[in-house]
Amino acid sequence: MSSPSQQPLLQVEQASMVFGGLVAVKDLSLDLRAGEILALMGPNGAGKTTTFNMIAGALIPTSGRILFEGRDITRMKPDGRCRAGVARTFQITQPFHELSVVENVMVGSMVHHTSLAETRKEALTYVEMVGLGAKAEAPAKQLSTGQRKRLELARAMATRPRLLLMDEVTGGVDQKSIPDLVALVQRLHGEGLTLIIIEHNMRVISELAHRAIFMNRGEKIAEGTPAEIAAHPDVVELYLGEAAHA
Amino acid sequence: MFKPLTLRTYLLVAALIALALALPHVIDDSYLLHLMILSIIFAIFASAWNLVTGFAGLKTFGHHAFFGIGAYASALLGINLGLSPWLTIWLAAVIAALAGVFIGTPILRIRSMPHVAIVTLAFAEIVRITISNLQGITRGELGLWGIPAFEGFMLPLIGEVVFNPSVKLWYYYLALGLLLLSIGLIALMMRSKVGLAVVAMRDGEDAAESLGINLARFKLLVFGVSAFLVGLAGAFYAHYVSILTPMAAVGPDLIILVIAMVLVGGLGTFSGPIIGAFVLTFLGESLRVLDDYRLLIYGALIILSIMFMPRGLATIGSFFRRRPAEARAD
Repeated sequence: MSSPSQQPLLQVEQASMVFGGLVAVKDLSLDLRAGEILALMGPNGAGKTTTFNMIAGALIPTSGRILFEGRDITRMKPDGRCRAGVARTFQITQPFHELSVVENVMVGSMVHHTSLAETRKEALTYVEMVGLGAKAEAPAKQLSTGQRKRLELARAMATRPRLLLMDEVTGGVDQKSIPDLVALVQRLHGEGLTLIIIEHNMRVISELAHRAIFMNRGEKIAEGTPAEIAAHPDVVELYLGEAAHA
Repeated sequence: MFKPLTLRTYLLVAALIALALALPHVIDDSYLLHLMILSIIFAIFASAWNLVTGFAGLKTFGHHAFFGIGAYASALLGINLGLSPWLTIWLAAVIAALAGVFIGTPILRIRSMPHVAIVTLAFAEIVRITISNLQGITRGELGLWGIPAFEGFMLPLIGEVVFNPSVKLWYYYLALGLLLLSIGLIALMMRSKVGLAVVAMRDGEDAAESLGINLARFKLLVFGVSAFLVGLAGAFYAHYVSILTPMAAVGPDLIILVIAMVLVGGLGTFSGPIIGAFVLTFLGESLRVLDDYRLLIYGALIILSIMFMPRGLATIGSFFRRRPAEARAD
């Protein structure tokens, strides 16, 4: 199934993001192969969401380059990147409150259709996929946090991305729903999706991710399999030390 | 909003149109007809402002600029080039739309809505002061008069169609036609993919952009269409009242009144701006004895409607129906 070309799906080359005097991300480089799931880890303020924003186009890096499928997208706007095949979810979910669940997803699927009826039909398949079928016609503002996470996933998938950036897959989701969400992400991955996830739950990371990058203060300090990261001395000190006691 | 219309909606709209067509034959009163015509002009203006602010969430306070541009452009084209109002109202609307795109291009990049509000308001003041000072062309504060009236014609089966100050009937029907055209255009746009993109943009710009929506393009589109319709309303107004002054055609009072109409009627609804335009035009007329104090009544009305029916008169029916269900949910 894998393509003969060895070119990575996504390449981040020496990307930095500076806000005034604050260096949020410093000289970050990473390569992502098609079909991989990469986890970004690190304490609050490590630069994970800033990295997402640079890849998704919400921020244009102060220096460095971002290539998607070999094409330079460093200065492309978020809507252009979406059409190029990069989709995202937000750490704090951003449903369109006044629209129904299926209409929210239609916003994602409409680029692929001319008629609203077809847009709705395809959107419904994504609504079903994330398990919100019973809520399809409900206003998005009535959803719980966990349901909003699913809605964001459906909406992003409706744009038919090749790369999906998921900010906090399980953040704010109740414990018993986590296995469902993990299974859903695995299913999407099985259908050919490449993902970068930001996640704090170590069990979720080890179940999902092939590889993890650990960031602190805007810099990559460790890279490897989730198990290697978990054993890395700097990481243990910075991050898991606290978690182990919790 | 994006579901197919029900038969009930079609029947309701058809009944309202039939009522509007029959009305002048029921109330044969020139003054009442005049108020109806003013209400219709404001209904077009309010619906177009609602498109930008209610549906697209762009808080512009300078739409009276397009009303004035439409009014003066149509009047001046008629006076100086001898063109018929039947042609110039459309040219004026296009000019207003171009002005909308011209001013919209820089403004719509601003993400902070308070700044958009101030900049658009300032733009309208610039337009008003310019019109006031271009005395050689607009006669400034002296007022522009001698604006040509719509030419009459013979309509088979119905008879002679005439437009003069004493016969308001055909002005009423023309205004009604323009209103239906405006509402139709807005409804068609809002119920399509454009509407979906526009509402998504209003509810969450970043999310909409991440889903492939080109924000600048959709903002400019609604701004241009809205300016076109407001310009059209202004152009019709010019040929109806046949005298223009900068304060009457581009004064800030206009936009305040329109904002009040939309808020009382229902921001972000199709029928709200129309309901609000009729209610406030007739109310304003009956409160004329209060002179400037009637602004106090408008203010109180806005506050009361925001407190007790935040979606306006247009949703008053569902307000009563939904109340018990919402109380249970709490």
